Amino acid sequence: MVVEIGGFAVADWVTLAPTLVLVAASLLVFLIDTVEPRPGSSSNAVLAAVTTVGSLLAFLVAGYLLVVGVGQERVTGPVSMFNGQLVVDGMSLFFVVIVGSVTALVALASYDYLAGEAYQAEYYALVLLAATGMSLMASANSLATAFVCLELSSLPSYALVAFYKDNRGSVEASLKYFLVGALSSSVLVYGISLVYAASGRLQFGAVAEQLGARPEFAGVLGVGVVMVLLGFAFKTASVPFHFWAPEAYEGAPAPVSAFLSSASKAAGFVLAFRLFLTAFPEVGGLAGGDPAVDWVVAVQVLAVVTMFVGNFAAATQEKVKRMLAYSSVGHAGYVLIGLAAISAPDSGFVLGASMMHLLVYGFMNTGAFLFVALAEQWGIGRTFQDFNGLSTQAPLACAAMTVFLFSLAGLPIGGGFISKLYLLAATAKAGTWLLGAALIVNSALSLYYYSRVVKAMWFEEPDGTVEIESYPTSLYAAVVIAAVATVVLLPAFGLLSPSAFNAASGLF
Amino acid sequence: MAGVYDFVPAVALLPFLAFVVSLFAGEYMPKRGAEAGIIATAGSLALSVWTLLTVAGITGPATSFNENLYTWVAGGEGAVTLNFGILVDPLSALMLVIVSLIAFLVHVFSLGYMNDEGETGLPRYYAGLGLFSASMLAFVFSNNLLMAFMFFELVGLCSYLLIGFWFREAAPPSAAKKAFLVTRFGDYFFLIGVVGVFATFGTGLFAPVEGAETLASFPELAEEALAGSAEEAGVNTFGYDPGTWFTILGLLVLGGVVGKSAQFPLHTWLPDAMEGPTPVSALIHAATMVAAGVYLVARMYGFYALSPTALAVIALIGGFTALFAATMGVVKQELKQVLAYSTISQYGYMMLALGAGGYTAAVFHLTTHAVFKALLFLGAGSVIIAMHHEENMWTMGGLRDRMPVTYYTFLSGSLALAGIVPFAGFWSKDEVLFEALIHGLGSEGAIGTLLLVGYAMGLVAVFFTAFYTFRMVFLTFHGEPRTDTARDPEPVRWNVKGPLTVLGIGAATVGFINMVPVAEVTGREIDYLHKWLAHGDISVTTTEHYGELLHTFAGVDPAELGPVAPGAVSLVLALAGVGAAWKLYNVPDPEEHTDKLGGAKTVLMHNYYLDEFQVWLATGVTVPLARAADKFDQGVVDGVVNGISSVSLFGGSRFRRIQSGVVTNYATLMTLSLVLLLVVFVVAGGVV
Repeated sequence: MVVEIGGFAVADWVTLAPTLVLVAASLLVFLIDTVEPRPGSSSNAVLAAVTTVGSLLAFLVAGYLLVVGVGQERVTGPVSMFNGQLVVDGMSLFFVVIVGSVTALVALASYDYLAGEAYQAEYYALVLLAATGMSLMASANSLATAFVCLELSSLPSYALVAFYKDNRGSVEASLKYFLVGALSSSVLVYGISLVYAASGRLQFGAVAEQLGARPEFAGVLGVGVVMVLLGFAFKTASVPFHFWAPEAYEGAPAPVSAFLSSASKAAGFVLAFRLFLTAFPEVGGLAGGDPAVDWVVAVQVLAVVTMFVGNFAAATQEKVKRMLAYSSVGHAGYVLIGLAAISAPDSGFVLGASMMHLLVYGFMNTGAFLFVALAEQWGIGRTFQDFNGLSTQAPLACAAMTVFLFSLAGLPIGGGFISKLYLLAATAKAGTWLLGAALIVNSALSLYYYSRVVKAMWFEEPDGTVEIESYPTSLYAAVVIAAVATVVLLPAFGLLSPSAFNAASGLF
Repeated sequence: MAGVYDFVPAVALLPFLAFVVSLFAGEYMPKRGAEAGIIATAGSLALSVWTLLTVAGITGPATSFNENLYTWVAGGEGAVTLNFGILVDPLSALMLVIVSLIAFLVHVFSLGYMNDEGETGLPRYYAGLGLFSASMLAFVFSNNLLMAFMFFELVGLCSYLLIGFWFREAAPPSAAKKAFLVTRFGDYFFLIGVVGVFATFGTGLFAPVEGAETLASFPELAEEALAGSAEEAGVNTFGYDPGTWFTILGLLVLGGVVGKSAQFPLHTWLPDAMEGPTPVSALIHAATMVAAGVYLVARMYGFYALSPTALAVIALIGGFTALFAATMGVVKQELKQVLAYSTISQYGYMMLALGAGGYTAAVFHLTTHAVFKALLFLGAGSVIIAMHHEENMWTMGGLRDRMPVTYYTFLSGSLALAGIVPFAGFWSKDEVLFEALIHGLGSEGAIGTLLLVGYAMGLVAVFFTAFYTFRMVFLTFHGEPRTDTARDPEPVRWNVKGPLTVLGIGAATVGFINMVPVAEVTGREIDYLHKWLAHGDISVTTTEHYGELLHTFAGVDPAELGPVAPGAVSLVLALAGVGAAWKLYNVPDPEEHTDKLGGAKTVLMHNYYLDEFQVWLATGVTVPLARAADKFDQGVVDGVVNGISSVSLFGGSRFRRIQSGVVTNYATLMTLSLVLLLVVFVVAGGVV
């Protein structure tokens, strides 16, 4: 197969270039580490640079392919390869952009965070491999590849959470993450087997075709669809498979928390979007007629419950990192609106709103966790009180954190305002008022706990015991870049949203 | 080719530039920023005159201009689009000239009043004047209601800044605050009206914008809705009968007009506003702030002409204010106070004319009044300089021989104000009353009666106007000097005398642009202003069109009556007023004859206790209401909010407890929820 990119005819696998760049970068990291195999002897700067440049390159290539229209209706249409196992279209490229940008920020921040640690090369390699899995998840187009990609991103994540292997919290979190993940994976793979049993196919489009022809397997299919849905709830940290998230995010090194809560979540969502909209549209009644299994309503229930559980639990936390972990669960609920309100007349808009929210979220949430990483570097403690008066010593970082938090809450200081507005508009278009009401109530509540951090940083008096000695450059740079991106996404939102809407419309 | 209309924005931009320059560089200029203002307003004046000539067809073929220049909110399908645009037609062209002329003269006069008196803070003063002029000029050429509203508010802000110029004293800040709050009260209704107009018509254009696709104006749409059905015209009247709804909208906008033009009952801010520097008073009274209200009614007259109720309200407010303010002017002791009440009264006349269908008469009176009121204020300013900032007329007297230029120009203005032939005020006031009379006689039903009531009040006010005007002239300039200062006043310079002379000549002659009675008697067509406003490219803003609207929708028609007899009546009344003042006050040593009024004088001195009433409204009604609202807020609203937050936090702590930290619990919960979902969506869903 030959496709055209910006005027050049190239082989179709070239459209996977962003993923290949990530693979190459991870192999390069391994190569560098083999030169000096003793732990801690490779140059942290070189490793971080390779990882940052690699993921940045993936981000730029994906962005370029997205801009020139590869895989989209206006140029070639979706590029399908390996017998339809992988597909590159606007949707996949959009999510690779998200994954690439988050990975680059995390890698940049990790340079300072990992200074002096052993096993740096392993860390960067795992990050890159997980990112590879996530970017492949965006392209996965069959149940088998979907599962493999998902595991490719999950297994490095378990190891990353346990990166401080002498730290009890880190190891315990990783183990819990792994056990919950194992259970979830088994649920997912069992669901896949049932769907396969009902349809006899693994490729998404083929599943959809076969299901219509085989009404007698509706019961098996129904059980399968629900189990697959919950399998993805694990990856996106949605209720009821969210239990790992607060533990893992809190125990993990903060850059890893940022990575998991932003990139991993986005990857879980893109796979869920693609699977449910290309394999199960008729099952859910989206093509008209009675739904065999009303997964749209199931997603609506999960969305509302996820919003409430995440935000209400966040409101009562004492530790900032754990609060952010729960808020991340709450945001999964917001993003679920993309599937929950999909029956709206303008479904491209609804799904596009979710995608845009994930894009903005990638910057503001990553930035917030990286600020926590900064705080951990300073050793100032983890509770809200420990942040008291921090602005007197680190005004720039505190200003950036304020931008992140207010944008997460949906105030018009960053792109989070418009993406939330679009989500609200999406619920209005679909007529799902309950979702809209839940979004409003939870956003209002979230303002409460986000502003607690802001209040602590800017208005409380410092207790005077903490002296900040160093201002780590790369961590600062990552935080500031994320803050600038968050703010710029407010005016630039309208520039990017059409590509999200087009990419989303491509699925229907 | 660049025509004059490309430069119209500069009419407002030049003074705005002067504002910026004075504000930031005024300290370093020899006249502390006055230069910038004078040059800018001179430029505005030149451009305005050029515009006027072009509209008249003398310097160019295009005699009108109406275009949107900048879209600042682009509405999509079904949403309104908000624009900045410029409308130049005979009305706005005329008004631009008036405003820029007065602004220019006021700037020059300020050299004498402020610079020569050694005031400090002058850059702030000239910056304020510049912004004031810029806002008013932009308001005048606004082509839609929202833009007009924005500049209307800016005008209000500038008046606040300038009235409170001497902010270290006690009275000016208080007066500024009062002006701001009282006009804001009216503007509140105006804002609702603006929103209402946009919600009803989807546009705020005063006149249609021609182009690839003609954009209709809201008065036109209202007309269509009244003539046909509201749906056809695409007008949403929110379930009301279109006539009723348009009246409501008109009256809401009128709220802003009543506040700005100082009409009853929101006139109370204007006399207090005398605390500002006198040139500012001249600007406020003649050309900017107060004129803005009446100008707005004239600007959207095509809308008011559709509603007989709104017209009757305007006419009654106008007539009543004219009389009411004139009576209070009779007892005032300070020069500027008398002038303040005369302003309120004169704007009442304009409102009366507008309400009675005398659009031309109102614009005419607006024009002449701008000239003679600016003159009177500047003259008063000259007297105040001479008297070392003493304003009480009882300390003056005999200034006639000591400052002849001021005296004769002031006399010219006073004759105009009193309405003595052939000075400007005579022609315009006479026409206002004439229009009120013939439309009152010619219209059927209630509106005819109401217009006649308005006319009667206006007619009585003529006597009072002439009386207080000449009481002021005689007390100030005639008789024997009553104090040492009056015996030896401070001389004034060219920068005071120059503007006075220009305006003095104007006050005597500007009435000649529209001598209707003379035209009637001689049969010669010299009623230029009538012709000026009757025709135009934009047919919906011509008096011809307004006449049709008044006839068709409001039932307001003129009766057949010559202008000479009514003119004679008002002239006789005016002369009687002058005569009474002559008898009582043109004596070497006048006494306070108003003391003989007894209790009535006390009432008049206290302005009918309206200020007290408004203060009582604030403290007696609003404060208890606010307290009750506060109680409600503290108790019920906060209670609910606090309740919700406790419930949320309690719920949060419960949710938190689910996260026990034990993995087996998690696995159990996950499995249970899987089972639950399977039961609900698969088993109960009837799939199996």
